[in-house]
Amino acid sequence: MSGIIEAKGLCQVYRRGREEIQALKNVDFCLEAGEFVSIIGPSGSGKTALLNMLGCLDTPSSGSLRLNGIEIAGQKERDLVKIRRENIGFVFQQFYLMPTLTARENIELPLLFSKKKRSAKRIEEVLQMVGLADRGDHLPGQLSGGEMQRVAIGRALINDPKIILADEPTGNLDSATSEMIFCLFSELNKRGLTLVVVTHNLDLARRAEKMYTLRDGRIVSCEERACAEGM
Amino acid sequence: MNFFTLAAKNLLRRRGRTMLTVLGVAIAVSVLFSLLALNSGYEKELSKEVNSLGVHILAVPKGCPYEAASLIMHGGVIPKYLSDSDYRNVSTIAGVELAAPMLLHQFMKKDEKTGVSTPHIIYGINMEETRELKPWWTVEGRFFSDNETGVMLVGRSLADKENLSVGQVLPVGPKKENFTIVGILGRTGDQDDQFHFFPLKEAQRVFNKQGMITTIAVKVRDVSRIAAVSQEMEKIPDIQVVTMTQIMGTIMNLAGSARSLLLTVIAIALIISAFGIINTLLMSVNERTREFGMMKAIGASGLDIARMVLAETVFITLLGGILGTVAAVVGSSIIEGFVKGMLPYSPGGSLISYSPELVGFALAFSVLLGLVCGIYPAIKSSRLSPMEAIRGGFE
Repeated sequence: MSGIIEAKGLCQVYRRGREEIQALKNVDFCLEAGEFVSIIGPSGSGKTALLNMLGCLDTPSSGSLRLNGIEIAGQKERDLVKIRRENIGFVFQQFYLMPTLTARENIELPLLFSKKKRSAKRIEEVLQMVGLADRGDHLPGQLSGGEMQRVAIGRALINDPKIILADEPTGNLDSATSEMIFCLFSELNKRGLTLVVVTHNLDLARRAEKMYTLRDGRIVSCEERACAEGM
Repeated sequence: MNFFTLAAKNLLRRRGRTMLTVLGVAIAVSVLFSLLALNSGYEKELSKEVNSLGVHILAVPKGCPYEAASLIMHGGVIPKYLSDSDYRNVSTIAGVELAAPMLLHQFMKKDEKTGVSTPHIIYGINMEETRELKPWWTVEGRFFSDNETGVMLVGRSLADKENLSVGQVLPVGPKKENFTIVGILGRTGDQDDQFHFFPLKEAQRVFNKQGMITTIAVKVRDVSRIAAVSQEMEKIPDIQVVTMTQIMGTIMNLAGSARSLLLTVIAIALIISAFGIINTLLMSVNERTREFGMMKAIGASGLDIARMVLAETVFITLLGGILGTVAAVVGSSIIEGFVKGMLPYSPGGSLISYSPELVGFALAFSVLLGLVCGIYPAIKSSRLSPMEAIRGGFE
């Protein structure tokens, strides 16, 4: 069965001054449509590098990465933008909300770039989905951390992506709020959305169907929840 | 929401900085607008003033440069003279409707209170011909006739300044002869308001210049024949001919250097303002690197980012342009006062003249300034790699 994301022999090399950093070393990774996957690992293990690669924010130094059957390696930035718009929704640790835009406008922002027609109904639907139906007119400064992250998730959902990629989405949140965000992810997954979440929080990571562990740029283990629960 | 509202909201995040940049642009545009308004106003007023002489051609003594002819208009005295016979020759040329001889004399008068001497100008004229040249002249009291002695007219501003009234007697010339003010000219708004007017013969007698004339003002019957008449006049040996068009050109040249100085000031103001805008934008672009990275991650293309940065710049410069234009219109009298002090010759009326085209030009210029200043920051931010941007690795 072919996955929505298929990576083979993925390598990523960065340069920092004269130093060469191998962020990913020969990574094989397959993600099926509708899966909920978490990636854990110590700092510098290559989690974010892998996530950025999956999100087409970066292209591999070598190896192959196919998203929905399209080879990403060697694509131009212009084409990557199109692929991102149509397939990927991003959620960041620092939320990156525009402080002068309301929750509703922040959620609407990707529509401005994708040139899709603005649909007030769709925006309200997303607000409802992330549990902020009554907070749409608030500015980020008037929202709690959890609410801001929910706005960011709403923003990732507005273009109807096939996959949501979340980089430490609960890194700036307390445990109760983190719990709520993971519940939201589970709910979205139940609706058929594919999710990849990078996190430091082992308890939360274990709630995904699959949990990959990265160390020194390599995948060292893959735990499946069914197995984990059985042990 | 569109790119323009997004840009406007972004600018509100840094209100203070945005306002200062807008102010910089406003000052530059305001100065530019005023100068252009002044340029068109200056030419308009100058030609109005030259026309107010009611004269098409001036005959001046040979060897007398155009600059001197311009001086005559303003009451300057030149040390060369034409003769009564030149005047007779000029009046007989075909096509000359009217020739009016004039003698100019300048004397210094000491103010008894302050002790400061100021130059005073006396025009010796034939009243009949002058009134034909200047049909708009009015008088409080009466005009003199050409054969009268011991009489004079004074301009309105001069009368006001020196507290002169009809019937007053003033000592004139080396022998301090008594001259009675028989009339005060109604305000003309030009240089005539500053002068004393004597019957020509009296002026020649009192200042020992019998038979001498400083200039002959000529009005032609048909303006299309000005060139032909001037050619005829040039055949008279002593005479140099200056047309009013030439005088205007000379004055424009005199004012030219002052105007280029002003233009330089404007250019410097605009360059400083442009660098200010670029600096502000670059700072704001650098601060928002991660934000641009996020935008690229959620689907913005490089072009989208560039468009947003350009929209922000144009917003700043257009707002500055509007403010600057309004400020220039409101503060035009102050600017006019300043500029009048800098120009070697300025006509009497209002020098600043606005037109809808000029307002349109100022605003279009503001937009262009925004596009030019925004292009580098826009390109720089559009080329950010989303990965590098999110990691904040932007220099």
